[in-house]
Amino acid sequence: MKTITLHNTLPNVFSQRTDIVSDIWQRDVELERGKLYLIEASSGTGKSSLCSFLIGYRHDYQGSICFDGKDVRTLTQGDWVRIRQCSLSTLFQELRLFQELTAWENVQIKNSLTHFKEDAEVSRWFEALGIADKKDAKVGRMSFGQQQRVALMRALVQPFDFLLADEPISHLDDNNGRIMGELMTEEARKQGASVVITSIGKHIDLPYDKVFKL
Amino acid sequence: MKQANSLIWRLLRQHISIGQLVGFFLANLIGMLIVLLSLQFYNDLVPAFSQEDGFLKNTYIIVSKRVSTVSMFDNNSSVFSNDEIDDIRQQSFTNSIGEFTASKYRIYASLSLSGAARMGTDMFFESVPDEFVDIDLDKWKFEEGDEEVPIILPRSYLALYNFGFAQSASLPKLTEGFISMVQMDLRLRGESERIELKGRIVGFSTRLNTILAPASFIRWSNQRLAPSSSTLPTRLIVEVKNPTDDNIARYMYDHDYELEDDKLDAGRTTYFLRIVAGIIIAVGLLISALSFYILMLSIFLLVQKNANKLENLLLIGYSPARVARPYQLLTISLNAAVLILAFALLMWLRSYYMTMLQQMFPDMEAGSLMPAIIVGLSLFVVVSLFNIFAVRGKVQNIWDRKD
Repeated sequence: MKTITLHNTLPNVFSQRTDIVSDIWQRDVELERGKLYLIEASSGTGKSSLCSFLIGYRHDYQGSICFDGKDVRTLTQGDWVRIRQCSLSTLFQELRLFQELTAWENVQIKNSLTHFKEDAEVSRWFEALGIADKKDAKVGRMSFGQQQRVALMRALVQPFDFLLADEPISHLDDNNGRIMGELMTEEARKQGASVVITSIGKHIDLPYDKVFKL
Repeated sequence: MKQANSLIWRLLRQHISIGQLVGFFLANLIGMLIVLLSLQFYNDLVPAFSQEDGFLKNTYIIVSKRVSTVSMFDNNSSVFSNDEIDDIRQQSFTNSIGEFTASKYRIYASLSLSGAARMGTDMFFESVPDEFVDIDLDKWKFEEGDEEVPIILPRSYLALYNFGFAQSASLPKLTEGFISMVQMDLRLRGESERIELKGRIVGFSTRLNTILAPASFIRWSNQRLAPSSSTLPTRLIVEVKNPTDDNIARYMYDHDYELEDDKLDAGRTTYFLRIVAGIIIAVGLLISALSFYILMLSIFLLVQKNANKLENLLLIGYSPARVARPYQLLTISLNAAVLILAFALLMWLRSYYMTMLQQMFPDMEAGSLMPAIIVGLSLFVVVSLFNIFAVRGKVQNIWDRKD
């Protein structure tokens, strides 16, 4: 997937509003593979909606969203499964980790689907992110900041053209935020992929190609 | 892949209610067992009532006129006229009708047992249309010029010989198999001609109290040996739609006809058995259906409780088919376990009742297991397919965010 384009897109819930000032809603926006984007949002501007639309979780919007020029409303279930496995990886704001499984298993449940990364590399990430000692701990027992790092690793054990990171560092200190930013951009660089980061206020300092205000 | 499966199973087995599954298991087992057992019991029991006569179906009845003292010497009073035959043919209970045709000449049959005792007797033949005789038509034919006539004997004749005559005359007892290998010498004496032929016994019948030869043989021999005698029948064979039909008995009574009545009993019994078995099978199917309902409720509840996990799996790239699979496998394994256990119980119970049945009907042949196997497997397949689609539908609802 080379481009994601939005044409005049607007969440249905905003359809009655006339005061929308946004770089994304009701505009023509194009996100290109290989570039680094930041979407800055305030509360209630539809950031979660945007992410849901992009991963095909929700379709309650006007206008259109296209992957490589193809309207996502025309995609089949099989297309979405392939896209989620191979083209578009997501770090969910609500993480969507499995509380009953350990940190390691939460990454493996994705990696054993894609067979994308060696165990050794994942172990190195655990080290780098400072949670190597939590590998075998149940995710339910970990802090939100620790869980965010697990969710990032799970998002990285798949091939992708776009990595959508929804508020990835909201609960992390600057140092861990920086490490996470480096890890994301490094993986994206290796694959020639794009990273789209959203944030409310706090964001990772990275050489963004473009910053949108939602 | 293996690791993914085990991880997914660890996730999705959360909230499985053992109690509900055990409830389903028992209910389905009972339903399945009732269906299979009643079917098998019916299959095993029916031969006991019908095994003795492979040559006549149970829907055949034999009609003759009542012989009274007054009519004893009037030969014509016992024959059926064409009008009478047509009247029976037009009755609502009649499917088809055939006439017994008797031989009109004298027959002397003799039998030599390995050259020793030579036995002979005067006898007669009768025939019914070939379609009423349920026997391989290759064995049951006679063409002009043939040396050998196939014959069906009443089984009681053999019993009479074995237990009456042979016993008192110190002759060997004969088995049906042995008799079938022996040739009979037949001497037919007509008005102007004699014919010598061989007879071969191809079977024994309990239903027919006559010596049966192929219709083509009787036609040919009557024409040649007794061209002048009349050919109106004294007995009729009628294929009825339902042997338990009251109208049959009423009609026969009104017209002063006689039914070889006991032959109807077997037909009635099997008909009755079929109805009872049908009712029990229906009850079994109902229980199966209810148990299926329990299983579906249980699985739906499970899917509901695990909806979040299922949704997360879908969002990180698992396909709905893949996510549905653990629950589908769970239901299929349960169904398979029920099927296997039901068969094991069936075989166990069957061994009990077969011992009893064999005491009541010593030379009974066991019925086939095939119908039970086919029905059991079909139930398994149908229920499993329903389960598979229902689970897949539920997961699809989660994908569509309908719930």
